[in-house]
Amino acid sequence: MNDAGALLSIENLTVSLPERERIAGRGGDLTLVDSLSLAIRPGERLALVGESGSGKSLTARSILQLDPGLRLEGSITWKGSELLGAPRRVLQRVRGGEISMIFQDPMTALNPVLTIGEQVAEPLLVRGVPRRKAYARAVEMLDRLGVPKARERMRAYPGQFSGGMRQRVVMAAALVAQPQLLIADEPTTALDVRVQEQVLDLLEEQSRELNLAVLFITHDLAIVAGLAHRVAVMFRGRLVEEKLVDDLFERPEHPYTRGLIGSIPRLDLDPDTRLTTVEDYLVLEGGAQHA
Amino acid sequence: MKSETADAHAAPLADVPAVDDPLRLADAPSEIAAALSAGAIGGAAGRLGRRLFGRRTAVVDRIAFGLVLLLVVVAVVGSFARPYDPFAVQTSSALLPPSSAHLLGTDDVGRDVLSRLLAGAGLTLLSAAAIVVLAAAVGIVVASVAALLPRRVDEIIMRACDIFMSIPSLVLALGLAAALGPSMLSIIVAMVAASWPSTARLTRGILRETMSSSYVESAGILGMSRVRLMLRHVLPNSLDAIYVQASMEISGTIVMISGLAFLGVGAPPPSPDWGSMIAEGQQYITTAWWISLFPGLAISVGAIAFGLVGDAVRSFVDPTARRSS
Repeated sequence: MNDAGALLSIENLTVSLPERERIAGRGGDLTLVDSLSLAIRPGERLALVGESGSGKSLTARSILQLDPGLRLEGSITWKGSELLGAPRRVLQRVRGGEISMIFQDPMTALNPVLTIGEQVAEPLLVRGVPRRKAYARAVEMLDRLGVPKARERMRAYPGQFSGGMRQRVVMAAALVAQPQLLIADEPTTALDVRVQEQVLDLLEEQSRELNLAVLFITHDLAIVAGLAHRVAVMFRGRLVEEKLVDDLFERPEHPYTRGLIGSIPRLDLDPDTRLTTVEDYLVLEGGAQHA
Repeated sequence: MKSETADAHAAPLADVPAVDDPLRLADAPSEIAAALSAGAIGGAAGRLGRRLFGRRTAVVDRIAFGLVLLLVVVAVVGSFARPYDPFAVQTSSALLPPSSAHLLGTDDVGRDVLSRLLAGAGLTLLSAAAIVVLAAAVGIVVASVAALLPRRVDEIIMRACDIFMSIPSLVLALGLAAALGPSMLSIIVAMVAASWPSTARLTRGILRETMSSSYVESAGILGMSRVRLMLRHVLPNSLDAIYVQASMEISGTIVMISGLAFLGVGAPPPSPDWGSMIAEGQQYITTAWWISLFPGLAISVGAIAFGLVGDAVRSFVDPTARRSS
């Protein structure tokens, strides 16, 4: 865990919701993520998988400290310096410039009243890059991400783009300031399968070409297999398994992981067979003690 | 003078390298837009203008816009051309009923009611507009500051607004206007003071809602400062609701101004504003009804027209919203 070459290293991160922030206002602090440790090296693609509510998004959001209401304990070091508790000024510099993040739904991730160009160039503009240069870089980035006629489309509004194109624009804005880590929180869940594939290919391509580390959050193991170097599996707020991607598929250790892999439907299966669920594995293996 | 010449030099300079550059449009106005989001305001106003009398506009809305347009034209024309001098006292023709010479009759000192009505139109509409715009401006600034500050400070500001709002606005405006002395300016100041808290409350709610939208969060993740987020991402996306609120308030404001003037805290006596005209005609209501009736009708038309426009603006901004009538 404690390798010196890590770009980002998370150690014993515990995320909890303080009692006063809870909706009911009682019942004590609620632990959402429990002493999680994780490290990402430069250029590495790490997938964080788990069911909804397992804390994978929260872990990712905690890296940039996006939820001021949550209590974060442990340590998150970015290139050797501590991010937890860092002043707003430092976080603002890191956000977008060193660590970027994209979300699930590209339909709502773009400001409807600003042009594509304004939005893609903005991360550069706030970092003091001259306007002309920032716009040129934005065009370059859009072009790189396969937006056709990028130069003309700089003046278009998000409403004039399809979902897949918007996700490319979102990625362009996230990558334009050359971050070293991109956190992708289910970036393809809202897209249809073919567009999904294109976006994933792009993501992999950018990661390779720019030596960009990617923390990829998903619940879809099929996506993981083609994209990630390593996989970390989360279950009920805990990291239960972390392996190289091939190892994970060949020798899954944790019953939950086995459940996840086993519940991928197979095309060659008899259509009348009941599909197995994660639940079946947990019962079979007695793994339910996590509850 | 000095700044004008500087601007004249700056303008062509900014244009020169951009002539055949496709990025020109994206480039040039955003400087201003970032500061004031004027681009968004202008764009929305343009869209609105084009749609005002279009085929897709409901009949009621067209009537509303027509009435307001009529009022504005009357106010503009009325301030230049009137059948009589609205201030000329002529006791020989006092209390004349409506006739071809005096279309709406004359008042107790022989002044032509129509001329006074026309002269007062501009005064009433302009001050109503000024009040609404100023109150919206103050409200937006307070709301933005409150939304940017930590929760606790936000709460304090909002409770202060609540305290202001707990005083009936007519009483507050009446007291302030009386303290400031009888003039149109003091009415404007008093009305702005009485109405900004409700705008601030409403706007702050809208801003908070927009702030939680995912494009604002995304922009924040790309490293924008909170002030920039507010000016460039939150405010331009919150303006729609503010337009609706402001256009709704114009009609109430017209009534309030007239009410204050009726109670005698408005512009001093010879002023032809509609509220004081009603007050002047009060003692002749049984014998010379026209002195009070026509300014009263004018106030009603103004209030109804702007009320309908408020409705129309809402249906423009949010076409899915049902008409309240």
